[in-house]
Amino acid sequence: MKEYSHEVIFCIVNAGFSEAAMDAAKKQGARGGTVIGARGTASSEAEKLFNITIEPNKEIVMIIAPSKIKDDILHALYREVGLNTPGQGIAFSLPVDNVVGLSQDLPPAQ
Amino acid sequence: MNTADKETVKAGKKAPAALSKKTGNQRHYTPPKLKLLVSVVEREKADLYLALIQGFEVNMQLSMAAHGTASTETLRYLGLSDSNKAVIFSIIREDRAEAALRYLENKFQTIKNGKGIAFTVPVSSVIGVAIYQFLSNQSKKETSI
Repeated sequence: MKEYSHEVIFCIVNAGFSEAAMDAAKKQGARGGTVIGARGTASSEAEKLFNITIEPNKEIVMIIAPSKIKDDILHALYREVGLNTPGQGIAFSLPVDNVVGLSQDLPPAQ
Repeated sequence: MNTADKETVKAGKKAPAALSKKTGNQRHYTPPKLKLLVSVVEREKADLYLALIQGFEVNMQLSMAAHGTASTETLRYLGLSDSNKAVIFSIIREDRAEAALRYLENKFQTIKNGKGIAFTVPVSSVIGVAIYQFLSNQSKKETSI
């Protein structure tokens, strides 16, 4: 199977939690990310059934990271902004087969 | 002919004519795969990059407003001041993806305030022949060899 050098991590969190997600990712070595505003579409029936409220306003945090630190970042996101936290976030990653424009010479974020 | 056109023609020549293999007397044709090209650019340059990417036989693009989260220190290092970004999703044929990325890399370095990043993610499935033809910019004749 082809080895991928980078992965793109998508983390969907409630609005206002993108900074918390970025902080968690940066602690694991991520350099930066991009935040996209979004809107969730959970079914109102499910909300009633499970007696929970789902905040429809979401933020998608997109982070490009080297494959070797991808698992650390996903775990950190799960811990800090996962479904059991107010951030109610889910995170997943996709393999990136080619990437341009990354600043390779930068020191890692503190 | 501008640089974009030159690049396009060059990449077209390099690309395999069609991923067809001859096995015995039967000729198998594998339609080219698609990739999702994601570009993160300065918001004010979004329209420019949309037009540039369109030159690589891209028929569907989606642009959305976003903002960057790099620390101010990092931003200063890169000479960036604005955190307003645009994310562009483009569906591109596999054989054009490499050329598009190389072209974007060059543009990121040469266009003033045009810095950005771009990457491709393989698309595993698409449903619908017409949709596939539209996304891959291939006519019915080409896909049914």
